[in-house]
Amino acid sequence: MLEFWTTPLGWTLLTVGQILLITVVLLICVAFLLLMDRKVWAGVQLRKGPNVVGPFGLLQSFADLLKFVLKELIIPAGADKFVFLLAPIITVIVACIGWSVVPFAPGWVIANLNVGILYLLAVSSLGVYGIIMGGWASNSKYPFLGALRSAAQMVSYEVSIGFIIITVILLTGSMNLSTIVDHQAGSILNWHFIGGGANLPTVVVMFPMMVMFFISALAETNRPPFDLPEAESELVAGYQVEYSSTPYLLFMLGEYMNIVLMCAMISVLFFGGWHAPWPEGYLEGLPPTLVSFHGLIIFSVKIVFWFFMFAMVKAIVPRYRYDQLMRLGWKVFLPTSLVAVALIAAWRVFGPGA
Amino acid sequence: MNLQAIAFYVLSVITVVSALGVVSARNPVHSVLYLILSFFTAAGLFVLLGAEFLAMLLIVVYVGAVAVLFLFVVMMLDVDFGSLREGFVRYLPIGGVVAAVLVVEMVLVATAVGEQGAAKGSGAPDILLDAPNTEQIGRVLYTDYIYFFQAAGMVLLVAMIGAIVLTLRHRPGVKRQSVMDQVARTPAKGMRIVQVKTGEGISE
Amino acid sequence: MMDFSGAVALALPEIILAVGALILLMVGAFGGDKSTGLVSVGSGGVLIAGAVAAAYGPLGSTFNGGFVADNAAAFAKVFIYGFSAVGVLLGDRWLKRMAASKFEFPVLIVIAALGMGMMASAGDLISLYIGVELQSLALYVLCAFRRDDAKASEAGLKYFVLGALSSGLLLYGASLIYGFAGSTKFVDIAAAVQAGAGQGAIFGVVFLICGLAFKVSAAPFHMWTPDVYEGAPTPVVAFVAAAPKMAAMVLFARALLQGFPGAVGQWQQVLVVVAALSMGWGALAGLRQRNLKRLLAYSSVTNIGYALLGIAAGTDQGVTAMLVFMVLYMIDTTGLFACLLALNRDGKPMETLADFAGLAKEKPGLALCITGLSFSVMGIPPFAGFWAKFYVFKAAIAAGLWPIAVFGLVASVVAAFYYLRIIKTMWFDPSPGRTDASPLDARGVAVAAALFSCGLVVLALNPLDTVAKLAAAAFHLS
Repeated sequence: MLEFWTTPLGWTLLTVGQILLITVVLLICVAFLLLMDRKVWAGVQLRKGPNVVGPFGLLQSFADLLKFVLKELIIPAGADKFVFLLAPIITVIVACIGWSVVPFAPGWVIANLNVGILYLLAVSSLGVYGIIMGGWASNSKYPFLGALRSAAQMVSYEVSIGFIIITVILLTGSMNLSTIVDHQAGSILNWHFIGGGANLPTVVVMFPMMVMFFISALAETNRPPFDLPEAESELVAGYQVEYSSTPYLLFMLGEYMNIVLMCAMISVLFFGGWHAPWPEGYLEGLPPTLVSFHGLIIFSVKIVFWFFMFAMVKAIVPRYRYDQLMRLGWKVFLPTSLVAVALIAAWRVFGPGA
Repeated sequence: MNLQAIAFYVLSVITVVSALGVVSARNPVHSVLYLILSFFTAAGLFVLLGAEFLAMLLIVVYVGAVAVLFLFVVMMLDVDFGSLREGFVRYLPIGGVVAAVLVVEMVLVATAVGEQGAAKGSGAPDILLDAPNTEQIGRVLYTDYIYFFQAAGMVLLVAMIGAIVLTLRHRPGVKRQSVMDQVARTPAKGMRIVQVKTGEGISE
Repeated sequence: MMDFSGAVALALPEIILAVGALILLMVGAFGGDKSTGLVSVGSGGVLIAGAVAAAYGPLGSTFNGGFVADNAAAFAKVFIYGFSAVGVLLGDRWLKRMAASKFEFPVLIVIAALGMGMMASAGDLISLYIGVELQSLALYVLCAFRRDDAKASEAGLKYFVLGALSSGLLLYGASLIYGFAGSTKFVDIAAAVQAGAGQGAIFGVVFLICGLAFKVSAAPFHMWTPDVYEGAPTPVVAFVAAAPKMAAMVLFARALLQGFPGAVGQWQQVLVVVAALSMGWGALAGLRQRNLKRLLAYSSVTNIGYALLGIAAGTDQGVTAMLVFMVLYMIDTTGLFACLLALNRDGKPMETLADFAGLAKEKPGLALCITGLSFSVMGIPPFAGFWAKFYVFKAAIAAGLWPIAVFGLVASVVAAFYYLRIIKTMWFDPSPGRTDASPLDARGVAVAAALFSCGLVVLALNPLDTVAKLAAAAFHLS
């Protein structure tokens, strides 16, 4: 029976099964994270938030899903129908495929790519297409403005994200996400955001890098305070104005999956992935499945923590003006991250660990 | 037929079809979208070759940045392709001849490389077969090819200087936000407390 | 692969220029346009330092054969950097007069000179292409430098679009050569061609020649020249007309002689055709021109034809002749453009033939300079241009290309007509009005060039010939 899984057919079935499993679990998680987002937001504003559907409003997201699916789909006259419908689909697909390289636990990854981190960068840079296509295909002014804003914004922040990722790659010496996570094994002192193990002095560089990565992730996912492409008060809802029903749902879904992906990325790159902040000596000798579940739980907690940060920022920080956004990206983050790359590279070559 | 072969045929068919779409699409935005699709599938072909680093770079650089700006410009320009297409039939023979010459030469090169001893990459650098290809590229790029690498950097620098020289305008009379000044401002500097007497007001 | 310090020593001129350009750029970026004077002086210093480093640097090849520092490269670099320094001087003063000082101008000239130096040192198709691109990109920007001037923008844009096309040809040729020869290094290509790399590589050479012919503005790839010369600012043209041509000609010689020594017969035919077309078309089309800058553009097309004839000879003597020709031609053309730069009427540059009427009474000194330089370009005996053409024709006849040499002689007689017309206009026609005072820098360059071309050349010819012979011998090392 085991041999069957190594034949082409078996391999294909196995991979499809893994993909389905991750997608389904992810979708359910997103439903609850969405609820958490709203609850946190409500809490900051001293409201109760959704609390009607199900106990504590737990089924709110599923009710929303039903509502969206059952509404009428409206395609504006003069819209480019094909691109109009393609845009939300692309958004969701792109948000999903990024998960294929995320290591959830030791060995629990669909594709253990050697260039996994580049793959994530590439996928996150594709997210802009859904928005720009949707904005253009709507054949309407506000969506178009939103699309243009988002194109400029995402391309700008990608640059600094790329540089920040390079600092992590330099510390690890690998682009494989599993290797990056394993490089942070031990305890919280080995996590990259405080320099990664023996390289403790690099905390001076790496901690700001983590903060910058988080802020860039906000911009990259069009979250407040960088939600200029949507900007309810200026552009109504930006690129989503003309969308209704399921396509709109897909946009929302893609957006949230991207956010969770970004949370996972921060956890993997800076927060030790599946490794616990305390020494993990007690795991030795345990069956691998148990160790993996231990890792999965820790990884999930980290993702939820970062998602909480995303939600808090949304609730607390007011929206940036467009020129401020561009200034922050190009004049602050880009030079800083560039200097950081040079410093970390110098540390790797001339530092004590060289 | 194994999985790789299937993947190759699927990807190459999509690449070729979308490349055709680039030149035949009526709407320029559709052309760019086809172009992006063909970049994307070309990256897939790179992966099949085992050149995963190049594949990812192709996506990050071309699909993620260049094509976005391309799309941006095409959407903004609103090109009237009807008028651009007018000369299509007239220039078809010349274009056809050029294309035919190119095809013949490419076939010649391909067959020469395939058959001939002289063309067997005599200058190809040594390859470490066990290292991941990111490392292999790094090893030759920063040793044998460092000169070209740095020179290409200078070319990009010139492009940047050129773009700035030709477009940057310092218009007089524009008020700019200076974050430094804003942060450095204190109540003592920004505010003056005056006692206004009734009926007199303040004259400045 | 040489060790690091050896590589640095060989590439020292390039490193000086590159690092210098970066530092100057920083100075300018933080100092603003006020620091233009400082950046200009610095650029001049960097260029001269580069020339000195090139003249006295070690010889050899490094970076896996991509960079060659031999006598030919050193010879070319000394003159390229020298003329670039003159370009910085003329450009800086001119910008100051126009009250449009920008610190990027001298930096761009330094970077262009860096690209030219790389072209002169290219031992590989990749460094060939990158050098050409670096040089051209900087020149496109320089041509369009005054963006508010519609003509300058047009010139820059035309140069850019056609230049991109020619780069495409160049790349296509390079990829064909790589495909057939299996290497991008000239040395390996030569070996592969010797071993019979087939007709495909020759295809590639033809494309390569087309691309390079565009860069030196040889007919039939000269279309951009008149428009760019006319539209671009005069000091930029004075620069574009001299140093880049030298770099491209040396690159031409190196690519053909070191990359394809076994296929002289094939590329000689192509070069002869290009040379003949350039000489003939440049002479004929120049007759119709009333604008001096356009006229000089056609004159440059003709002269490039003569220089190509030197390479077409395919011998040491031919290359020596080409190098001597290029040096003398650079001096002539820089002098002529400096004269144009020195002449203004009512604040406007004097560019048409009619503007020059009666100049001899207004500005006898400059009129004399133009006359002398024109005689030189025409090829009247004791002047520089005569010796230049003499060398080329001698080499061509020695290589058995006498029909084309005779054709060149005829073309030069035709071309002489339009120079004579300028001289006649200056000395015998009535003047339409007063000219403005001429700036010292342009006048100085003009007088220096005229003095050299009309007298000093006789003294300089012998040493120049000796050095050029050494330089030409370098091409046969492989």
